[in-house]
Amino acid sequence: MKNKKKISLWEAYLTKEIGIEFKACLYFFAILFFYCVYRLVCGVYDASILHMTEMIFTCYIIGYIQVYLFGNFDESEKFGGREITGLIVCIGLYTAVSCIGNWFDGNVSVILGFASYLLVVYVCVLLIYRTKRKIDDKKLNDDLKLFQAEHKK
Amino acid sequence: MKIDIKQITEGEESVVIRYRKLTPPINKILTVLSGDDNRLRGKTDDGEVFFTPDEILYLESVDDKVFVYTLDRIIRIDGTLNSFMIEQADESFFRCSKSMVINTLRVTALKSLSSNRIDATMEGGEHIIISRRYASDFRKLLKGDR
Repeated sequence: MKNKKKISLWEAYLTKEIGIEFKACLYFFAILFFYCVYRLVCGVYDASILHMTEMIFTCYIIGYIQVYLFGNFDESEKFGGREITGLIVCIGLYTAVSCIGNWFDGNVSVILGFASYLLVVYVCVLLIYRTKRKIDDKKLNDDLKLFQAEHKK
Repeated sequence: MKIDIKQITEGEESVVIRYRKLTPPINKILTVLSGDDNRLRGKTDDGEVFFTPDEILYLESVDDKVFVYTLDRIIRIDGTLNSFMIEQADESFFRCSKSMVINTLRVTALKSLSSNRIDATMEGGEHIIISRRYASDFRKLLKGDR
């Protein structure tokens, strides 16, 4: 009975890993969208597999940094110093890798646009999680009231 | 435990309990004898006290000692959180972390936190975090799916 109820360490680890994987996919698609729009504007109608590989690996690594070093700042309830540092570091890392990997052909204005775009993406993700939690709050409190009404002695 | 039962034809009925340590079974017997099955026994700085499960906001286990928190008292009880849960067999009491049990009927508000945790505000204003390990079970409890 004990084993049935409690989540094992392995399951807890797996939950965290799935969270990171989900995060990596989310940011990969956001970055890929920006990259594809840039390529389309430049009149190029194909994407480099090497660039995409770099993107997904970067997203995974930064996903780990986000979760383990910066306390999952894009899902946090409050936005303090640690979260702002995390945001700046992660945007900086993505931008640095985009420069090293030459995703935007060294075009400075596009790279700066990419950094601003990442900031917007992070803010959107933060707002989405906040809204999700608010909806969840409402559900939880409704369920609590029902439970209490049924169990009041 | 040795049990001596003696039937008498006259005189007042009496029960004598001799114990070395106030264990949960002894406590239970005392509670039954005190005339109210629903009452629990515990200790405060002022001595022994009785209280009902309804009064409990939450229980906390600290260094193998279990403390009951009501609106105005902190009471130490014998046993463990597990033995309390088994004795009470009341689904209003929910194990919300390794060291805490909350009385769901005395929760005033719930707040969803990141990483699937839940913040429960108790009647006294205390905030208790329901850890991720127990949060899904808590949601099931509220929905009646447990």
